Amino acid sequence: MVNETPSKVTIDRSGNGSKEASITRQKNSENAEIFISPRFKSAAAMAGWDEEDLILASFFVDDTPERISSKRRRRSNLLFKITPTSSGSRRKQRIKQSAIPLPVVDLEKVIRQEEEKSAEKKKKKKEVKGETQEEEMRKGKEEKIISEQKSSPPVVLPCIDKLRDELSCAICLEICFEPSTTSCGHSFCKKCLRSAADKCGRKCPKCRQLIGNGRYCTVNTVLWNTIQLLFPKEVEAQRAAASANLNGKETPSPRNPNQRLRGRNRETAVQQERLQREDLSRLLVSEERSERRNNRAAGVRLDQDRDAALALRLQRQEFASAFGVTTTAARASSSSSASSNLSLARANLRAMASRAVRRQG
Amino acid sequence: MMTPGGSGRFRPLPTAMYAGYSGTASSWVAKTSVSASGKRIQREMAELNVDPPTDCSAGPKGDNLYHWIATIIGPLGTPYEGGIFFLDIIFPSDYPFKPPKVVFKTRIYHCNVDTAGNLSVEILRDSWSPALTITKVLQAMRSIFLKPEPYNPALPVITRLYLSDREKHDEVAKEWTLRFAK
Repeated sequence: MVNETPSKVTIDRSGNGSKEASITRQKNSENAEIFISPRFKSAAAMAGWDEEDLILASFFVDDTPERISSKRRRRSNLLFKITPTSSGSRRKQRIKQSAIPLPVVDLEKVIRQEEEKSAEKKKKKKEVKGETQEEEMRKGKEEKIISEQKSSPPVVLPCIDKLRDELSCAICLEICFEPSTTSCGHSFCKKCLRSAADKCGRKCPKCRQLIGNGRYCTVNTVLWNTIQLLFPKEVEAQRAAASANLNGKETPSPRNPNQRLRGRNRETAVQQERLQREDLSRLLVSEERSERRNNRAAGVRLDQDRDAALALRLQRQEFASAFGVTTTAARASSSSSASSNLSLARANLRAMASRAVRRQG
Repeated sequence: MMTPGGSGRFRPLPTAMYAGYSGTASSWVAKTSVSASGKRIQREMAELNVDPPTDCSAGPKGDNLYHWIATIIGPLGTPYEGGIFFLDIIFPSDYPFKPPKVVFKTRIYHCNVDTAGNLSVEILRDSWSPALTITKVLQAMRSIFLKPEPYNPALPVITRLYLSDREKHDEVAKEWTLRFAK
């Protein structure tokens, strides 16, 4: 192979000042190919590197093997548009390696050694690796959440207590539920902030700065999602408590737990209905708008049709999202209420579709 | 039912009082045990037990979560040194949106505490914020021991003495501490 030559050259030529170093490297690794993989060499050739550069690179590799290895991987990805070792397979190997020692392949061995070095480095590497890995991580997170919902032990982060302090609301001292961030940058539960503004004046409870008018009611979505990811149990408990409170207000008479469950279902059903109503009203608004436009310019038929189609599609998406949210929010809700909601939604969709068709025709 | 903070920390009340209490307490629990204020007070109690501020302790008096007793030990280097000062803390039902009512039960010679034990501390009045906790209130109490606020007095007589003749003021305060707080 032509590619072999430069690495050999590396060893031969390194007589000047760094002979010992290269020799020890040679001893350590038996083969210089570990440091300059064939793929790297070909990539270097394509990039127009000469042997000198490769020699330099080999030294560099020796100094910081990890960085170079990741760089090498990325570069090869860029150049060949293929993944040399798919992240999935590498992951498998890593798992296997923890169980049984594998037969040795040079490059893989180096990578594995690097990975064994420290957990931190591992994390960094994960960031470096491709989108597929990210997706896997995301999947893993989702799995974690699901598994937590199935009451298995929660993820234990070393800084979880600090996070808890940081993400708890100064007013109710619990984990922020639907956090809302003030203009001065402090976050509280939406409910807490609202009642604080009502009862104690429009000042930030933490720094006494004036709170702007409308903004304090909006939920900080990123923060809220983070909280839901980090403290699913607490959030679930708060949600349950809130719904129990609501139920208590609706019917103050004492009930057995079974009845309470049904009450909660009813509540979620009500919520879903409200959501659907909102969606419907939104649709009606959009319809009105398009009608108005129609009156204004009757000739633009095509445009209107497109509008109708868009409205329909949007509605579908909204329904889907609304359902996604409510089903995750109230996983415990009974199948009967869910099915009734589904049928309701279907009916609504049908009505909308027919309206759209009427308008088109 | 006894609240955990109330049992050990302070000298127990006579049992007759408990009997009287429990009747009212049960009805009280049924009404507001799930309320936001109750939850918050319970949380504060837990936090206080885990990490109490220096020289301070606090906890519910009896069954009632909304009625606490606190103690502050007079900090070293002040005329109140070595005294144990008891305070009554009464939480309003819309706590933390309204400040707790804090009253000195032990007599004290201090320009921010009047003869009835009421305090002239701004954070317990207009500058109250729902983000403040009992821990912070106790810390504020301790800080007025260390450094009285003469420009926001409850008793102008003491303030005048404090500003004009600090030594005499300290002497009287020490005497009062010895008489009432030990």
